[in-house]
Amino acid sequence: MCRLDLSKLKRLKEVFLRAGPNVLWVIGVLQTAESTNLRQITIRFPFELGAWAEERFHQDWQDLDRALLQFWTSHSIRPRIEYWRVEEGCELRELASRLLPELTGRGIVDLFKYD
Amino acid sequence: MPPPLPPEILDLIVDFLHDEPGALKACCLASKSWVHRTRTHLFAQVEFSSESHLKLWEKTFPDPSNSPARYTRDLTIYTSQALTSGGWIRAFSGLVWLQVDIRSYGSNEEISFSLDGIDEVIPSLDGSGEQISFVPLRGLSPTIKSLYLSYGSYIPFSEIFDLVYSFPLLEDLSLVCLGSSEDDRWDIPLTSPRFTGCLDLDIDHGVCPAVRRLLELPSGLHFSKISMTYGDKDVELMMDLMLKCSDTLEYLGIYYLTGAFICLLASVVG
Repeated sequence: MCRLDLSKLKRLKEVFLRAGPNVLWVIGVLQTAESTNLRQITIRFPFELGAWAEERFHQDWQDLDRALLQFWTSHSIRPRIEYWRVEEGCELRELASRLLPELTGRGIVDLFKYD
Repeated sequence: MPPPLPPEILDLIVDFLHDEPGALKACCLASKSWVHRTRTHLFAQVEFSSESHLKLWEKTFPDPSNSPARYTRDLTIYTSQALTSGGWIRAFSGLVWLQVDIRSYGSNEEISFSLDGIDEVIPSLDGSGEQISFVPLRGLSPTIKSLYLSYGSYIPFSEIFDLVYSFPLLEDLSLVCLGSSEDDRWDIPLTSPRFTGCLDLDIDHGVCPAVRRLLELPSGLHFSKISMTYGDKDVELMMDLMLKCSDTLEYLGIYYLTGAFICLLASVVG
């Protein structure tokens, strides 16, 4: 398991995480970020997002939702989520509201499709 | 006949046309005294995308000492022939930015994957089947600040880092390659660049050998941006690298390769 610790990087302004299907390591890394200069968190998913993510990793996504919400509360950081594409037949907004219910419910997440 | 314009006014006029290649070409033909200034813009960026580009350049400028290569600040090379076709490349002596992107997986390479990472990569040649070497680029231009290397062949890190340390003003370093599981010969240089810009490491065999070399540099590390692809075995050294840059590091981009994801990649490649 990834043991990356960002707690001593006090000047850190921006974190960009390219995530695999399992988001646990992302949560682990984010929880160690203590820089008061932090202004931007971007998480990129370089694969097709779909119902499978919810089915297989539901709890992990809920934890990610909470971790990112904490950054909004403590640092006023709106996370930026980048995705490659969404599974056919899946509606992004609906999927996002199930994967990241707190963030989407409060409208504090930016979703971007990247090429 | 009216007196000629002072040269600094002429330079200013030409500078205003820096993004108008058509106008610059016309200026270049207008007067010999305009050639120098127009060439600084016309040849500021040069890109060799294919072997035919190289041949065209060599045919047009057969004498490297008279070629406009010395005006080039940004050089991009997408063909490995540029590294093997003689000494003409040494004419690019005023570069600030050098990108060599010759990554291609040829039929000479065998790659196998496992849960722990990539087991074995046995490439020695690039996609064209030719052995490549970065030795011809060593010390090419003392003013280079940004170096981007992307290659698919096995090249010892000693050769790569000999190249890196031959640019004393280097700030940014990007290495995208297969790398090697073995550490080869390593002599710590007496001086090293200060590395105050961006570091980008994406090495299939793991970043450890490259990071180990960077950590031992006499001038320390001062990167403000680090982007890295890493696996479990890289974490410890990666932490050392980040801590070494903790006074300057403002941007961190990371891609964690889990065993499961490597399997997924293997199935796609297979």
